[in-house]
Amino acid sequence: MLHHVPNSLPVHCVTTATRLAAVTSRPNEDQKRIRKKLNPVKMCADLSRTPRNLLVCERSSFLDEKNRLSFQVEQLRFNYKVSLLLPECGSAPSHLESTLNSFSRFYLVKKLPIYELLDKDFLQNAVYQGSVYGLSFGTRIDEDNCVALMPNGRLVLSLDKDSYEMLGFEGRPSRFNHRTCSRFVVPVDLKERSMAPGSPGYRRLLRALSSHLKLQTDFLISHHPGGGASLKALLSRYDWSERRPEVCSRRLSDLVCPDLRSCDPHSLLEWLGAADADVSCENSSSSFLSTLTCPEPTTTLAAALSASVSGLLLPQDVQRLVEQLRCHLQQEQTASWASVTVHGFADGPVSWGDEEHGVLTGGENFYNLLMFQDHTYRLHLATGPQDGCPP
Amino acid sequence: HVVQKLIESMPGRIAEVLKKRAQHSTKFTEAYLKNCIQQPTRLDVKNIVTHKAVILGYSRPKKDKTKRNSKKAKGLSARQKRTMKVFRIKPEHQRYELFLPLHKLWGQYIIDLCGGLKPTSLCGETLILQLITCVLIVTVVRSKCPSYVGTTGILIQEFKHVFKIITKEDKVKVIPKKNSVFSVEIEGFVSHIYGNKFELRSSERSAKKFKVKGTIDL
Repeated sequence: MLHHVPNSLPVHCVTTATRLAAVTSRPNEDQKRIRKKLNPVKMCADLSRTPRNLLVCERSSFLDEKNRLSFQVEQLRFNYKVSLLLPECGSAPSHLESTLNSFSRFYLVKKLPIYELLDKDFLQNAVYQGSVYGLSFGTRIDEDNCVALMPNGRLVLSLDKDSYEMLGFEGRPSRFNHRTCSRFVVPVDLKERSMAPGSPGYRRLLRALSSHLKLQTDFLISHHPGGGASLKALLSRYDWSERRPEVCSRRLSDLVCPDLRSCDPHSLLEWLGAADADVSCENSSSSFLSTLTCPEPTTTLAAALSASVSGLLLPQDVQRLVEQLRCHLQQEQTASWASVTVHGFADGPVSWGDEEHGVLTGGENFYNLLMFQDHTYRLHLATGPQDGCPP
Repeated sequence: HVVQKLIESMPGRIAEVLKKRAQHSTKFTEAYLKNCIQQPTRLDVKNIVTHKAVILGYSRPKKDKTKRNSKKAKGLSARQKRTMKVFRIKPEHQRYELFLPLHKLWGQYIIDLCGGLKPTSLCGETLILQLITCVLIVTVVRSKCPSYVGTTGILIQEFKHVFKIITKEDKVKVIPKKNSVFSVEIEGFVSHIYGNKFELRSSERSAKKFKVKGTIDL
């Protein structure tokens, strides 16, 4: 079972007394793109400081040539789950179904020694081509040692104090250490000249990983379509299994839905999470399980489709899905909007780009794209306490 | 002289007896009086002069210090040591192969001393600590500074805060003891030395008992 990532923002984020909003806008002739950074700080009598969550909201249009959506989608490299919500849709349309089923396959390698990632052939065929995504599986970012291999040739090791002291390779303390340095990050750029095979830096790292600290974890590895052959040599030496991303879909009936254009971001995300988790927003007086309500003003949808894909998903596949959804919105007249939520791994060493990621109270790093028929969209990017700012 | 007149008038034999008695009594009187008067011994000049030596003045003969010091080894002051560079090993002596036989010899000593160094032997940690003075192969296992980790070599000199190690490539490396953990292998037994607790001169260490105080965390 892969990591479970909570689908909705934590509730404390919603009930806030004050909000600090920094608004920067670049007016365009056609469209206005407003970017809001909301940093809710809970002012409570008994808590002086609570860990912050960061939510970045953006409104733009696909027709605007300055929109950065593709860049932003590309930056979240390790995606765990993609969930869709389509209104007025009984079952998945065929082209969407085929897109969901055509997400790239990935491999799970048991007990891979990390020095194997420095193998010359592997570097030559896979890493230098820029087509490999790798993430350690079953390791918790705040307890164990985690490894991430990114397509730009960077290998990131997130180690605890004892492992770092034994490894003997230069790194830096984590940004999220409070007073004592208990976590260290070792970023290695494998494409740099100093790390070329045979160079002193390369030999030192190899020696460190193979004799000083014998790092060995389960590893999830994936590649761009067509690059499968490059991994074969590496995989053949160890116990590996090919996995397909899990697809599941559900039909929702009588779904209460808010006015999506005017709804405020927090309540919107809360509602989306409730819909995805199949939590009713009725808030009836007899039920004490949940007090979540749908933001006013509401409409009721007769039918809606909720689908999700989970596994080690590549940003290119997500991009393709977004394009397909745009086409679907243009073709179908009944559907006026579509929502896609993409979650990153809670236990990965990196979240967006090369930014360090950590888990304090929760390791959420996700974004939600709400698309409308007139080519406009709302994008919300959210991270947890131990994260940098999303792009 | 009334008595004398009486004695002269008496016949001859009685006068002789009275004269003897008079001589006798004077002798007795003298002796008796001497005994009565106490004579302190220090004023008894005759006794003093005949038996004892008299100190005429206070001057002790000077002890010959130089003679005594030549038996003790001369020490050098710190300044002299620095100028003479006694503790520097010259480059031509800095070769790994030269130290290897010494290392083997020391290993032999240890085996002889501990009788095989079995786990059950009474060779405790204190003994091992005293034996780790020099010429053992030392590796840095953990360190706060990553560049020290992995250096291996024969320990040639030990200072208060620093180990001097010669590696196989004939390079002398100076590794501070602080914030590092060293591992020493003696005949198959690997011991870890925590450098933070080891910052003593080796001469002091042989006398010191090690207590478990503080943390061994770096």
